[in-house]
Amino acid sequence: MHTLSEVTEVSGTAGNFNVTLHEDARYIDINKCTGCGDCAAACPVSLPSLFEQGLGERKATYRPYAQAVPGAYSITKKDRSPCTNACPDHVNAHAYVALVAQKKYPEALEVIKRTLPLPGVIGRVCPHPCEDACRRQEVDAPVSICTLKRFVADQVDIENSPIPEITPRQEKVAVIGAGPAGLTAAYFLAIDGFQVTIFEALPVGGGMLRVGIPDYRLPPAVLEKEIRAIQRLGVKIQYDTALGRDITVDSLMADGFESVYLAVGAHASMKLNIPGEDTEGVITGVRFLRESALYERKQASGHVVIVGGGDVAIDAARSATRMGADNVTILYRRTRAEMPARNEEIEDAIEEGIHIDFLMAPQEVVAENGKVSGLKCLRMELGQPDESGRRRPVPIEGSEFVVACDMIIPAIGQRVNPAFLEGTSGIELTKWNTIVTDTISCETSRSGVFAGGDAQSGPWIAIGAVAAGRRAAESIRRYIDKEDLKQGRDPIEPPQKNFNPIPEKIEPQFREQMARIPVAERVSGFTEVEKGFTEEQALTEAGKCLNCMVCCECFECVKACGADALTLATHMDKPHSTELNVGAIILAPGFAPYDPSGLDFYGFDTLPNVVTSMQYERMLSASGPFGGHLVRPSDHQEPKKIGWIQCVGSRDQNKCNNSYCSSVCCMYAIKEAVISKEHAGEDLECAIFFMDMRTPGKEFERFYETAKGKHGIRFERSRIHTIEQTDDGNQLTVRYFTEDGRLVDEIFDIMVLSIGLETPPDLVDLARRLDIDLTPGNFARTDIFNPVATSKDGIFVCGAFQGPKDIPQSVIDASAAASAAGELLATARNTMTKTKEIIPETNIVGERPRIGVFVCKCGSNIAGVVDVPSVREYAESLPYVDYAADNMYTCSQDTQDMMTQIIKEQHLNRVVVAACTPKTHEPLFQETLVNAGLNKYLFEMTNIRNQDSWVHKNNPELATEKAKDLIRMAVAKVALMEPLVETELSINQTAMVLGGGIAGMTAAQSLAVQGYETHLIERNDYLGGQAVNLFHTSQGDKVQEKLADVIRTVEANDNIKIHLNTELTHVDGFVGNFVSTLASGGQSEELEHGIAVLATGATPYIPTEYAYGQAPNILTSLELDQKLIADDPMLKTMNAAAFIQCVGSREPDRPYCSRVCCTHSIENALELKKRNPDMNVYILYRDIRTYGEKEYLYKAAREQGVIFIRYSLNNKPVVSATGGAITLKVTDHVLGLPVELSVDMVTLATAIIPYADEKLANFFKVPMNEDGFFIEKHAKLGPSEFATDGAFLCGMAHYPKPIDESIAQAKAASSRAVTLLSQKTIFSSGTIAQVDPMKCAACGVCVSICPYSAPSFAAEGRFAGKAEINPVLCKGCGLCVASCRSGAIHLKGFDTDQIFSQIFELDAAV
Amino acid sequence: MSEKEPKILSFLCNWCSYGAADLAGVSRMEYPSNIRVIRIPCTGRMSPKFILAGLRQGADAVWVSG
Repeated sequence: MHTLSEVTEVSGTAGNFNVTLHEDARYIDINKCTGCGDCAAACPVSLPSLFEQGLGERKATYRPYAQAVPGAYSITKKDRSPCTNACPDHVNAHAYVALVAQKKYPEALEVIKRTLPLPGVIGRVCPHPCEDACRRQEVDAPVSICTLKRFVADQVDIENSPIPEITPRQEKVAVIGAGPAGLTAAYFLAIDGFQVTIFEALPVGGGMLRVGIPDYRLPPAVLEKEIRAIQRLGVKIQYDTALGRDITVDSLMADGFESVYLAVGAHASMKLNIPGEDTEGVITGVRFLRESALYERKQASGHVVIVGGGDVAIDAARSATRMGADNVTILYRRTRAEMPARNEEIEDAIEEGIHIDFLMAPQEVVAENGKVSGLKCLRMELGQPDESGRRRPVPIEGSEFVVACDMIIPAIGQRVNPAFLEGTSGIELTKWNTIVTDTISCETSRSGVFAGGDAQSGPWIAIGAVAAGRRAAESIRRYIDKEDLKQGRDPIEPPQKNFNPIPEKIEPQFREQMARIPVAERVSGFTEVEKGFTEEQALTEAGKCLNCMVCCECFECVKACGADALTLATHMDKPHSTELNVGAIILAPGFAPYDPSGLDFYGFDTLPNVVTSMQYERMLSASGPFGGHLVRPSDHQEPKKIGWIQCVGSRDQNKCNNSYCSSVCCMYAIKEAVISKEHAGEDLECAIFFMDMRTPGKEFERFYETAKGKHGIRFERSRIHTIEQTDDGNQLTVRYFTEDGRLVDEIFDIMVLSIGLETPPDLVDLARRLDIDLTPGNFARTDIFNPVATSKDGIFVCGAFQGPKDIPQSVIDASAAASAAGELLATARNTMTKTKEIIPETNIVGERPRIGVFVCKCGSNIAGVVDVPSVREYAESLPYVDYAADNMYTCSQDTQDMMTQIIKEQHLNRVVVAACTPKTHEPLFQETLVNAGLNKYLFEMTNIRNQDSWVHKNNPELATEKAKDLIRMAVAKVALMEPLVETELSINQTAMVLGGGIAGMTAAQSLAVQGYETHLIERNDYLGGQAVNLFHTSQGDKVQEKLADVIRTVEANDNIKIHLNTELTHVDGFVGNFVSTLASGGQSEELEHGIAVLATGATPYIPTEYAYGQAPNILTSLELDQKLIADDPMLKTMNAAAFIQCVGSREPDRPYCSRVCCTHSIENALELKKRNPDMNVYILYRDIRTYGEKEYLYKAAREQGVIFIRYSLNNKPVVSATGGAITLKVTDHVLGLPVELSVDMVTLATAIIPYADEKLANFFKVPMNEDGFFIEKHAKLGPSEFATDGAFLCGMAHYPKPIDESIAQAKAASSRAVTLLSQKTIFSSGTIAQVDPMKCAACGVCVSICPYSAPSFAAEGRFAGKAEINPVLCKGCGLCVASCRSGAIHLKGFDTDQIFSQIFELDAAV
Repeated sequence: MSEKEPKILSFLCNWCSYGAADLAGVSRMEYPSNIRVIRIPCTGRMSPKFILAGLRQGADAVWVSG
């Protein structure tokens, strides 16, 4: 199975196609995933669930729905989230934000620490490029990512957070400088195990973080704590040790350091280069901040002037204010708009009373008594933009003036002090004194010496230095390990296009702001200004994340996965291409439900109580978004009144360009209405607004009548005008036109839009790639006589891509397509099969039970609730239990291997698995028994997950008790299990097809082409069935020509033996071994065959109504076809013709629709119009049922002037024929008045009637419905076969249908038959009923009640006359066992003593 | 559980109700734990004797579903 795959290219021809598949990454090992769902439970990212139609959510790691196949989970990942991508260090902002939203703070810290060891520091000082990239600003404002990082750091004590496991190494690495670059490099080198020493010139750590950023922005305690956390990894810091002064690179190398990382920073200041700069009272910004950080706070007083517009200028100004300066002024040579400092910093400064003078350039320091007294400045104006794009300040001549001041702090930039190179050679510098390095490896011009941070890049943001430090750590490791420094590290620019879409219904919100201390408190000291987020604020902000990448790569799922299916490696999976060589291609890509967004008169986009039918299906589902409680989405109150609107997105060319009928909506709307009534009770009112009620499927009309009658569902023939919301927002006003033209307003609680089916655009593209033709409705074009073949040989189609259709028809098409492919590839059958190794079975008869019990933890799914070890211990204490174990995942391959081993070693002869459900896992464990040489029936599985831990998760003690009870019951039962035999039966390879119509011939041809000798039995002396009466098909094919082709092909096939004039007089035997007696012309012969296809067809109703027989021109549909075939000249000369529909159909005593008549009459009406365009043609109908693309015919007929008059069952038209004239009286449905039509011809669209052949039904023991049609195995899933094995069904014996559907079903019946025939032998189940003839009273109850005809009376032998059960036919239901009054029948595997043993073990339980 | 809860023995058809009980779990529904399920191949297998035996073993109610 190729999941997550798309066909990108197909080449070659039928029998030999090369197909290229694009397979998306699943990010989970499909072979190891047990589907337990622990990953999804851990995943912090939720998004709307497609399966729940947007009404519910799913996680980024998910399974589309509970019963999905395969059951393995997959992860949705899009392009890297812009926040993470924008960060110089690629700190995974998306992940920690997602984890904050889940209150998983330690986990969030762990994510941050993957790339950043200073979360509290960077969370305070970072100018957050992540937020600039955040897509939330498209809605309102970016998520406060940076503050969330600080919040995480504030919540978790980093000094006591877990340390990664480190394998120590001997190599020493020296890091110069304890700033962000140096600390980060040291941190990651220490994790790699190296012995790292940081040499720091200053007496404190942190570099510029400590001496450049004032304490009110970054309290030293925060920084010191994070430095101590780095030191916990073994990093040593040697303070007051400067490179160039105390040590050199050479001295370090001589001391045994293998590598040196230079991260000395840029601690020197740029000069103003104006006279008097050395005067006392002039101090650079960098020095001012350093001194205020390092030493006892100095006092400032008087007027302090700062020159510059960057962060340092602001920091210096705000620090000076805090140190007691009377006035603080910032002089900046440009305007506010050009200021490089962060906006919020500027605002803070102004708030704190700092004055900023713009467009001022210092010219000279004015001194008095050797001390600063003022600064001479020049006023500026803005000129042309410079290379940075900012407008260049130009001096205004003669504007000099002096600003009186007591202290001047120039803060116009920093630079690297090259003094560190004293005594070191081989390190190249740029002209700005920054260190030259390789851009990828960070290596300097001297091998083994690396550099980064401000010393390499020039002054930049702290997170940039962190990124550099991390990159250098990797290079240093590679250098020491003698690996290539650059391999695989080329800078990549991840795509930034494909993101999780921004939901349409999203409310803009205000951005949360941190609380701050009051200004008075701010200016009086260095207390931290911003207080961080409260938890509530943090959760609100985190909740705003749009999950751009969907999966955030927090890797919580990796931790949660106990099966090793989801790992860091699988998270790196890439999409890939797969090439397949195939002989045939079957397209079953389905449909997309029509999206009613944008149809404003329905209000689907804005009104919560207007839902699509697909959403409504989920609302009704017990596993759906409302847990199966029928409630209004707006307020979750129970609705009193629900309406359905039909034909939304169907039969509508104006609003959606889908002019076809979607075929399924009438029926599903009725079904939904009936289920709603069942859910909500009789008080619920249901109304269906429709144009034509189309229920032409088998048993559909009866369902419609029941809905009207028994359930009281109202059917309103109408046109919808608008849906609007009532004032309280919880109800809907539906405005509609009734059939007689009145405009009505009616209040509803929920309106369901019965949306149609359409082919999505990507399928249209696929069709183009495959070069197959599409119909006007964008469905795959097929031919009536080849209903599953596309326009390209070897490519077949089934399901809704062939045309809108329901489940039974899709299933029929699916089998038909399989058959068509099978016919094409018949010669290749069985050429690629593999034979399985058979392991000899151990004989355990006579041994005492030795039971092994395996209790599954299912990761945390069971063990998280049930106390598994105590359950295991309990199991050990039970009788006959020789072995008990608990396993993390009992279903994983390694546990399976281990179980096989244990069964052999411990000589176990019975096994109990307590785990999930036997419905999905019993076959797997039975296979394990077989591999261990045990009979697979010596097994019992008990359900302690789905029916215990999952449903009692809040009651672990009771769940544990229940698990013990269930295991005790299972142990008691398994002790009584015996090895069971699966009877082998050979299948006769001959087929018999009953009925020589189109269906029968097609089935015979299909079987014969696939290599099976086929006998085609026809009661008449000709082949063709009812098709011999038909003129042309709905696609305009001449039926007689096509039929002749079919007959010729069948007659020419050597594998087909045609028996004309032949009746079936007797059938013996059962699946694989039938013996049928064929009678022909007084002769009888016996035919042995393995399977039978019943294609016995149906007959036309001969009307007694509408004056049929009273005039030559009152015809049945088939009689008109005969006239058309014969080209009767009267058809051209008539002036008026009428058709009456539903003659004999949809009547109380024949309550089914004959399905084909509407289309047939319209075809013929169009044909009459073609022959004589002036002819008046009337069609008198009850509902026009031109389903699917047959709707185009109805449209064409209206366009060509065919007049449609609707009548009702209780007001039928009246036909009278006097002389040659025919008069029709009918009440016009629009006018509401009787009209009289004089016509030359009336055609009665008569019902199709089954043969209701009781004898045949008894031969094959197959049932018939009330109408006399055969009942298939399953109305939806088994439409072409019988419950009785070996008998198959197609054509009109199943239900009235047009030629294409008959042909599809014939191929389907053949396909189902071939699945049986091709096995050559079949095995019965072991769990079947068996008669003890000594006890049998031969009462015959079992024979009469078995639905599968398995019991019969033995014909001969010692027990002749007693019941015996054919093991091959028995399905093991136990009906006969329960009804056997002498207790003679035993159901193996579920025998009476075994069930009693379970009941008896209850006493402890109840 | 606050009050005395009835103890229920249930016989569920493998093909419908047993699967439905599985789905209840998949959907993470919750219900009281005082029910013990015996899986049967079809409710056609039910015998009145099973119901009587269950009641005699102390079950307050027997639920057959299929």
